[in-house]
Amino acid sequence: MILRLYGLVPQLGLMLRIGALQASLAILQGLLLGTLIPILRALLRPEPDFAAATPWFLLAGIGLLVYGVLAVISTPIAFTANMEFTAKLRHRLMNHVAALPLGWFTQERKARLARAVTADAGAIAHLAVTIGGPAITATLVPTTIIGVTFAVDWRMALLFLTIMPIAFLALRRAGRIVSIADEELEEAATHIAGRAIELGQAQPVLRAAGQGSTGTTRMRAALDEHRETYRRGLRKSMLPDLTYTAVVMGGFAAILIAGMLLLIGGELPIADLVALLVLAVRFLEPLGNLIELIGALRAMDNGVGRVRAVLNTEPLPTSPRPVRELSGIDIALSGVTFSYGGSARALTDVTANFPAGSTTALVGPSGSGKTTVTRLIARFFDVDSGSVRIGGTDVRDFDPTVLLNDIAIVFQDVYLFDDTIEENLRIARPDASRTELEEAARAARLDEVLNRLPAGWATRVGEAGSRLSGGERQRVSIARAFLKRSRIVLIDEAASALDPENERAVSDAIAELASAPDRTVLIIAHKPSTLRAADQVVTLDEGHVVEVGDPTTLRESGGLFAKLYDQYEQARGWRIMTTVDN
Amino acid sequence: MTTAIENPAESALDPPPQAPHDAELPPRHVATDALARLFRPIRRHLVGCAILSTLGSAAGFAPYIAVAEIARVALASTELASVSATLWTWTWIGMIGAGLRLVLVFASSRLGHYADARTLHDLRVRMIRQLGSLPLGWFRASGSGAVKKRMTTDLEDMHLIIAHALGELVGAATAITVGLGYLLFVDWRMALVTAGVLLVMVVAYRIAMRSMSTHMNRLLTAEERISAASIEYADGIAVVKAFGTGGRILERFNTAVRQHTAALGAWAAETRYSTALSRLCSAEVTVLGVVTIAGLIFVHNGHLAMAELIPFLVVGVGLPTSIDPAIQGSLGVRKGRVAAGNVDELLSRPPLPEPVRPASPQGHQIELDRVTFSYDGVTNAVADVTATLAPGTITALVGPSGAGKSTIASLLPRFYDVTDGAIRIGGTDIRDIPTTELLSSMSLVFQDVMLLRDTVRENIRIGRPLATDEEVQAAARAARIHEVITRLPDGYDTVLGDGGGLSGGERQRLTIARAILSGAPVVILDEATASLDPDGETAVQAALAELAVGKTVIVIAHRLHTISAADQILVLDDGQLAERGSHEQLLARNGRYARMWEAQLHGRSA
Repeated sequence: MILRLYGLVPQLGLMLRIGALQASLAILQGLLLGTLIPILRALLRPEPDFAAATPWFLLAGIGLLVYGVLAVISTPIAFTANMEFTAKLRHRLMNHVAALPLGWFTQERKARLARAVTADAGAIAHLAVTIGGPAITATLVPTTIIGVTFAVDWRMALLFLTIMPIAFLALRRAGRIVSIADEELEEAATHIAGRAIELGQAQPVLRAAGQGSTGTTRMRAALDEHRETYRRGLRKSMLPDLTYTAVVMGGFAAILIAGMLLLIGGELPIADLVALLVLAVRFLEPLGNLIELIGALRAMDNGVGRVRAVLNTEPLPTSPRPVRELSGIDIALSGVTFSYGGSARALTDVTANFPAGSTTALVGPSGSGKTTVTRLIARFFDVDSGSVRIGGTDVRDFDPTVLLNDIAIVFQDVYLFDDTIEENLRIARPDASRTELEEAARAARLDEVLNRLPAGWATRVGEAGSRLSGGERQRVSIARAFLKRSRIVLIDEAASALDPENERAVSDAIAELASAPDRTVLIIAHKPSTLRAADQVVTLDEGHVVEVGDPTTLRESGGLFAKLYDQYEQARGWRIMTTVDN
Repeated sequence: MTTAIENPAESALDPPPQAPHDAELPPRHVATDALARLFRPIRRHLVGCAILSTLGSAAGFAPYIAVAEIARVALASTELASVSATLWTWTWIGMIGAGLRLVLVFASSRLGHYADARTLHDLRVRMIRQLGSLPLGWFRASGSGAVKKRMTTDLEDMHLIIAHALGELVGAATAITVGLGYLLFVDWRMALVTAGVLLVMVVAYRIAMRSMSTHMNRLLTAEERISAASIEYADGIAVVKAFGTGGRILERFNTAVRQHTAALGAWAAETRYSTALSRLCSAEVTVLGVVTIAGLIFVHNGHLAMAELIPFLVVGVGLPTSIDPAIQGSLGVRKGRVAAGNVDELLSRPPLPEPVRPASPQGHQIELDRVTFSYDGVTNAVADVTATLAPGTITALVGPSGAGKSTIASLLPRFYDVTDGAIRIGGTDIRDIPTTELLSSMSLVFQDVMLLRDTVRENIRIGRPLATDEEVQAAARAARIHEVITRLPDGYDTVLGDGGGLSGGERQRLTIARAILSGAPVVILDEATASLDPDGETAVQAALAELAVGKTVIVIAHRLHTISAADQILVLDDGQLAERGSHEQLLARNGRYARMWEAQLHGRSA
């Protein structure tokens, strides 16, 4: 477990320092208790012999002083370690995920990442320091006491020695069961959490169905399951927990009886027995505490496991001799096959050319692989077979940052960071001048939005950009592409339902982006006007390229493109009625 | 004693994922009242728990006292054989005490945990019932995240109080009472010395924790920021990668981590001496040293027999250890109290009033009668809107964003109640119609799709729970979703998870199938197609057309063309009804609507 912890944050020095401090404190504690033996031997006589006890007193006094100093020193060190450890772990996690392929970031994994970064990282460090210390104490104090006991009476020492491994065996068993129960309960709690979200989101539906006050059957089942898991965990851990405590208490009884027998048999002086009994109590007390710690240690281990799962995910491989410059801006896909890890293929043997400076519309029904094409070009994922080349160079041979420096992506669902509009634009180019910002804004038709907002550039966009409308967010995103002056732009055109004003602004902005002759543009397009304006259309269906050509010719050919084109036109002409229309 | 089912990962310094104000401690008495209310059903368990813990803790002293007494008896006697009976008696007392403690403390902890399991279940059931009666608007304001937090994290935080803190507190109190009592009986001066060490420890701890709430709040705020920054980073990862400037965004995260470290550091620096002192005093070696030194001085002066020192070495030395858990647990207790306050706040929220004399609507004509509504009690989101929506007609709400369209749509199913005026369906005020009846009379098709984590079949069937499988399929066909469902791995029995399997348009059509099955006479469409890809849009439009037939329809749409065939169009501006009429009438009027229409026509050809 310590190795696994070390694997997370290689802070050998820090860990050794704390470990050594804790260990010396524990051993010192055991030895100090040991000085009781000579002291009691000297004093527990009809006539106490203070002179004989004095050197031991001095020794104990010095030991006590050292102990005090060490204890005071170790408190802030442990605290600092806790802080550093947490911070390091958090940084490590964040830096690691930055290198992961985009496909890794599913809803579920994002939630897991957030949990690992906040709760797990905090808890691991906190527990490693606050539980790790006591765990060392609880192990080393009894061990030291056994050693000291050998100096007094080997028989009693052997008895102490037998108790420890038995206790540890019982402890391991209890720990294992606690760990399993812990995981099961965590899972049951996750179910409830999912149901609770649903309860919040679908409340009107539930009420309409008369289930508002009871929740769905599945919700009730999840609650029952949680209670049952909880109880089952309690039942299952009952015997091992009791066994462990019984071993410790049984050990106490054995020591007591053995001591009495030796005393009455005259084989152990009274002073020694008294000293041994005092030691026995101090020997068993920390052992008893271990059961309290084991649950926490197991939970820490589970947390470590969750964090490692994130850290063990492989990033995309980088080329040993990365190409640092784009030699051209024509894009070529040849024989590209790709799947998102599941069974179904997203693209099968796709070959397509996007000449330098051209504008290509990617068209196809949903799920046909349009977005996948753009993602492979930007190397969010690597192809399974075939290749994607830009300017003749395979994208896998580029330095990843170079590639992304020359490609701008305008997403359909634009994500903005909870910051000002200006900062959200500057993500594209942190050192952009005021004029450059203004120009990009104008080209992206963002200036109208900025003029309308009282705070202008300093307007905060809210969580995920929620204070701006969809169209306004997309304009920010297009402005980023202008600002970045990328020579390759990949656009996922907004869904149909922008309000008219935004729709016009966005298509004007896209048209301006596409019009530059030194820019290769790919648009996942739905709007008839965009489709008509493209130099070239590539139609995809179920991961295959089915048509390539100019829009006019393709419309006349009556294929899939023509069908989709008509469908888009028709959707825009739809009207809702209370009677069936046709 | 046992930590059977613990989740220490959830304890101590872990962050509550919600807004910082949650982290603030409620006034003490409020939290205490909340605890009393929440724990009333399990008070017998808790009392039992406390009694067992007391007895167990007291019995736990028997072995220590036995050891001390054996030493005293043996030392006092000159001939061991003469006292062997007494010695064996003490041995037995010690062993029985140890056994009793084992059983009693274990039983106390089990009782606490079982009470916890029960409370968790009962409180969750109560919460669900309470959530079912809150105004629907609450869910919009607080979000399903809040529901989740109340039902999971908060309840788990309360766990510490029920299953641990009580037993530990009572145990510690007993330990102090019995332990010090016995020591007082042995020698009062030495007992005072021992008590002195404990006192210093407690005082030092209190000093260390004096400014805890301030520091805790700072820490929790920082944790909150870390959490927000990491979630934001993950959510915006596509942007981060696309622009290759992750460092800039990571900076926000780094700042939050630095703030956290600084907050922790400030706390540590401020309390370093008091913390160290309290730690030192709670170490058994310290007590050992103090007791030995003081004891030997007393022995040397003849105030104390050597044998009488033994109890202090055995019992006295163990006292700090026995109150330590109670002190360590106090942080968790504070958290638990905050959580209990949150839970209690939810449970004691006033529910949406159910009608005293419930009435049923006669027909499906909807009347908006001088409807006025304000979210904040200051500005009206909707003011004085009057309109009649006849059965079998379509009424469209149009206007710029913020004009009050969605507000009106959400007043009908009583997400909120009107502040003034009234809404009537079939002549009955909607506030007099029982919630279930009102909601089952309308189909809500909103942008945010409301699906259950259940099978596709059950998701449709919840529209009419008694519907047969054939009826469910017929509704799916009408909503143009049947084909899609049959292609799913388990067909109608496929369980829907977090968005898996179905696209946005398909999910939307599923809710439309549900609405078609329910046959509810009133249909409310709020930007139903706004978030769809165009491929899905055509199918959703076909499904909506099917749904609208013969219903009283209220529709909100961006694109005016969509609603140009509506029987009446209500043009809203700033919460007021600006214009009304059919598309042709409004165009002829050449007012606001006509201008909007003109602008959109222009937009289309651009």
